[in-house]
Amino acid sequence: MARMKFICDAERCIECNGCVTACKNEHEVPWGVNRRRLVTVNDGKPGERSISVACMHCNDAPCMAVCPVDCFYKTEEGVVLHDKDLCIGCGYCFYACPFGAPQFPQAGAFGLRGKMDKCTFCAGGPEENSTEAEFKKYGRNRLAEGKLPACAEMCSTKALLAGDGNVIASIYKQRAKTRKKGPEVWGWAMAYKEDANIAAQEVKS
Amino acid sequence: MSRSLMVVAAAAAVMLAACGEIDQTAKTEKVYAGKKDARAADGSQFGGDKKKWEATLAQRSNAQNEYLRTDVKK
Repeated sequence: MARMKFICDAERCIECNGCVTACKNEHEVPWGVNRRRLVTVNDGKPGERSISVACMHCNDAPCMAVCPVDCFYKTEEGVVLHDKDLCIGCGYCFYACPFGAPQFPQAGAFGLRGKMDKCTFCAGGPEENSTEAEFKKYGRNRLAEGKLPACAEMCSTKALLAGDGNVIASIYKQRAKTRKKGPEVWGWAMAYKEDANIAAQEVKS
Repeated sequence: MSRSLMVVAAAAAVMLAACGEIDQTAKTEKVYAGKKDARAADGSQFGGDKKKWEATLAQRSNAQNEYLRTDVKK
């Protein structure tokens, strides 16, 4: 089993917020906490693009590196999870994360910052699988039920893919080949820079 | 002469003291300090059968590829 990953296909995302809603509903996430959200670039202008962003379950996760109480761990499938019983809500992980994934409850008075909450890849947390305790702290454990994250399974255009990194990468590759697009694809120049022409020929061949 | 040189050297040493770079790389590997988590396949649905769990998940992952479902020529 390879590592669990998300890919968001910017050519397909229609900014419907279905993934955000699915996540909120599935885990009964409290007000002010957004495990997943949509980021739109050039909103309202021709060629705008949206991508769905949550915890990317990094191989070398910076949140794990900075946590002063070492409450993060990685599952066999590469999902980055944390123990809420140990978290002190210091917010270091929030500053370290390049995706803004760690979230803190903000419903309390006097700027109260509770324990960190983030996308679990629908894999729950360090409690017995599929129990009330696990649901209350971390949300539903769909992975233990043999299901993929709710956000990806709910995505109507299948822009958001989740699962084994090798499988979803091959799905994305097939899409890229079928589209037969090259440098005109959003983000191409950012990804390949001066190698844009070479990479375009590789995709078209 | 040698005394003034010593004063200059001492002043330079004090002023340049902050210019050195201290290695800030963590020396020890981080170790998870929380509770142990059960594996995803250990739930009641799969009863620890990881192969079955992986097969179920692979089937779900591949179901995201509509090219496989619509019989479009690759």
